Amino acid sequence: MIERKDFKYYVLRIIELIVLIIWLFPLIWMALTSLHVENDLISKSFHFLPAHPTLANYTKAFTSTYILQWLINSIIISTSTMILTLIIDAPIAYAFAKIKFKGKNVLFWLVMAGMMVPFQVLIIPLYLQFNSYHLINTSLSVILPRVALPIGVFILKQFFEGIPNALEESAFLDGATRYKTFSSVILPLSTAALTTVTILSFINSWNDFLWPLIALNDTDKYTITVGIANFQGTHGTEYALLLSGAVIASIPQFVFYLFFRKKIVEGIAMAGLKG
Amino acid sequence: MKLKKMLALLLLLIASTGLIFAQGAAETTTQKGPTVVTFWSLFTGGDGEFFDAMIDEFNATHTDIQMKTDTVKFDSYYTKLTAALAAGTAPDLVVVHEANIRNYVPDQLLALDPYLEENNFPVDDFVSAPLEACKFDGQYYAIPLDVHPIIMYANTALLKQAGINDLPTNYEELIADAKAVQDKTGAMGIACDNTTAVYKAYTLTRLFFSMMYEQDGQMLSDDNMSAAFNNEYGVKALVALQDMVNKYEVTPQGLDYDSSVNAFKLGQAAFHFNGVWATGTFEKADNLDFVAVALPGLIGKPAAWGGSHTLAIPATEAKDPDHVKDILTCIDWITAHGEMWSLAGHIPTRTSVQESDAFKALPYRAGYASAAASTVAPPATDAWSEIYTTLSDKLEYAVAHNSNPQMALDDMEKTVNKIIMTY
Amino acid sequence: MIPGNKDSRDGYIFCIPFLLIYILFMVYPLINGFIISFFKYNILSTKKFIGLANYRTLFSDSKFYSSLWHTTQFVLITTPSLLILGFLMALFVNSKSPFKVAGESIFFIPYVFSMTVVSTLWAWLMQKNYGLFNHLLSTVGLNPVGWLIDSKWAIWSVSFATLWWTAGFNMILMSAAIRQIPTEIYNSSSIDGASYWQTVFKITMPLIKKTLSLCLILQVIASFNVFGQVFVMTGGGPYGSTRVLIQYIYENGFSYFKMGYSAAMSYILFALIMICSLILNKIGGNEDD
Repeated sequence: MIERKDFKYYVLRIIELIVLIIWLFPLIWMALTSLHVENDLISKSFHFLPAHPTLANYTKAFTSTYILQWLINSIIISTSTMILTLIIDAPIAYAFAKIKFKGKNVLFWLVMAGMMVPFQVLIIPLYLQFNSYHLINTSLSVILPRVALPIGVFILKQFFEGIPNALEESAFLDGATRYKTFSSVILPLSTAALTTVTILSFINSWNDFLWPLIALNDTDKYTITVGIANFQGTHGTEYALLLSGAVIASIPQFVFYLFFRKKIVEGIAMAGLKG
Repeated sequence: MKLKKMLALLLLLIASTGLIFAQGAAETTTQKGPTVVTFWSLFTGGDGEFFDAMIDEFNATHTDIQMKTDTVKFDSYYTKLTAALAAGTAPDLVVVHEANIRNYVPDQLLALDPYLEENNFPVDDFVSAPLEACKFDGQYYAIPLDVHPIIMYANTALLKQAGINDLPTNYEELIADAKAVQDKTGAMGIACDNTTAVYKAYTLTRLFFSMMYEQDGQMLSDDNMSAAFNNEYGVKALVALQDMVNKYEVTPQGLDYDSSVNAFKLGQAAFHFNGVWATGTFEKADNLDFVAVALPGLIGKPAAWGGSHTLAIPATEAKDPDHVKDILTCIDWITAHGEMWSLAGHIPTRTSVQESDAFKALPYRAGYASAAASTVAPPATDAWSEIYTTLSDKLEYAVAHNSNPQMALDDMEKTVNKIIMTY
Repeated sequence: MIPGNKDSRDGYIFCIPFLLIYILFMVYPLINGFIISFFKYNILSTKKFIGLANYRTLFSDSKFYSSLWHTTQFVLITTPSLLILGFLMALFVNSKSPFKVAGESIFFIPYVFSMTVVSTLWAWLMQKNYGLFNHLLSTVGLNPVGWLIDSKWAIWSVSFATLWWTAGFNMILMSAAIRQIPTEIYNSSSIDGASYWQTVFKITMPLIKKTLSLCLILQVIASFNVFGQVFVMTGGGPYGSTRVLIQYIYENGFSYFKMGYSAAMSYILFALIMICSLILNKIGGNEDD
């Protein structure tokens, strides 16, 4: 079929291009702002490109704030959360998908109901609880409440259900225990779903705001998400510094995205389809 | 299999990391070497820097005690402090606004009298008003570090350009001067914030509060059980605020705190109302000729809203008297070096400091130190925090919409009374 | 399925790790918090049992209603717009445009950034005196707008930032569903002479109905739980006109220490979310949970 590149075609393309550029622009602006000298930003005249581009804001961010420490904290906390989530979500999802046992449906409904609980409801009792374990102001207090991820269970359950029973049956006939079947047959086939859960839990943990704000007391223990909000309060009128902090904070997320772009997108897509 | 091995390795990694964190969280104060006094301060920004400098100086000059501190964003400070006090994890020493001490008395803060006496703490050196404000049921629960009232800043260069040589002493003069500067130079008349951005528009509440007391009115009744501002005084105060924006147009609409500070800092505004803490910021600005004076009696006698930062000791565990002695040493040192803290603009609370050459040599501060005498502390009630923030919202609304003052006040009174009932 | 009578045992064993954490850090505090809602508790003194008083108070608390309304406004603004925008993006990504691959990345990438990064960035773009938007307005001779400090605009500004941040997520979900539609269906309709939009409405949309209703439910739940971006961008202002219910719950619990009252409000919100989800579920016609 020969496609006539008529006027309408080009108009559409131009509109698309404009929309895309506008959509991308805030990120570009964030980076540009961070390269400005602070006073240029609050002067009456508007500079689009920095008149005197400088990395001074970044230097200041790294040397006079805890931003690097915050990044490290976030990486440790989010990685731990993600791994622990996998470890506990997978088995129960498998049980829901493949094992017949009494009370399964009630239990499943109970777990799914958890997705609708606003975290607000838990912060006060959780704070008092963690304090009685002497775990406030440690990374464990931030990690543990986030580890049991109902949506992870859901995604994995849907996926596991899609694996034909025949595979397990043959493993069983070969003398495998249920655990062996789970680890040697089911899990290797589920890397796609496992990756999705990993990514979701990582992002969830990284972006968590209210709970780490309450659970962590020392500024140097903050996660990056809380820390950047802290930036606003302490350096509120230093816009260039603020934005450079935002850029620094977004680099790991951007890198994460670059590496796992396909997996992230596939994972979300699959979650949607299975749902 | 490979996945299992990887998982096991990672588990090990997490476990060890968790241990490291757990270790880090435990504070050991019983060790060879200096005693550690842990400390929470709510100072951020400019205040934070000056305070850190004081702590650094303390640590540099003391080998037996070291202070370890941390800064929390202002919004969350009392959240964390209260929860920590309840849970028994508060540090040795905390900065508390005088208005908030009441919430933690008598159980959460240490009653200081026996310790003050035992250690010959120089109680007499303190200016009496702020010190007495730290007394509850006859006992001291905190030691005042400073007094920080709202004051008036004026850009002398702009005033001169408009041909004004004297500072205004009341509301009419203020408006006239602001208008003159605006007409002559195009600069902002009064940089007074009236909208919420990163910070709420507390200035409005502080001015309203000040003006009430200027007229010998009160915010709450003597027993703090009901609102007392819904009267002719309240109307006059509210109208004064509204007219600045809507009638005389010497303050723009939608001005938030940061922008208002910036406007004055960049020499773009003639007058600015803010707490004394802004002095430090303005000093550092290039080419800014300004003065800082006690708030003039705008519609009555001079009276100004003021807060006070105090130092208190959480009563979390049975306190070891030796440790309390160390903490008091810190408090003593910090308040005795009030001129360092004054660099942030605050008024020191010790007479010896106020009379010292070091303090007197500081620009601006001696000029408004007298404001401490006309500073009014907020009412001593648990409900004040909520009343204060709620009034900020309501005043912001009334100014932005130029609402009928009587109706606005009726609404504020009703709301405040309702709030008091819930405490 | 592995047959045999070990099912129950295995079933429970596999559930234990999850349930342990879940019960300890979700179920137990949930119940505990509910109990607290019947008490007057300011964390520093002992709890005082007051029965339903907290609930009675909140039903006559105008701030509760205004906060709930602000949350509802947010839900009403963002839900349809995020669904429509996500759908349009999904259509674009599945079109014949040469930009579709780049487009997918560009539309999705904001989702990857955390709330505070996005909020900081947009608060800067919308800053009244120095932000880019107002600079652009002044170049065409218009007056600066208080995007985040004018009560006319504030909730819309925050919603718009949220749109930019999360539309890509919906795009991915819907795009995947669209890709599942077999091309033969389109071929037959184009033979019948259907226009592009007719095809979209009559064929594409009905066939991805399940995904659409999933997006709807997820979106509604997420919007009811809004807190972070509003808090960081407007602080609930101006004069509390964008204060959402979760912010009010947070303030009551952690600024005024009315723990019982705060807990009561969060359970009301919880109940509302549950009811909405159940209703939407019924409407959407999902067979499973």
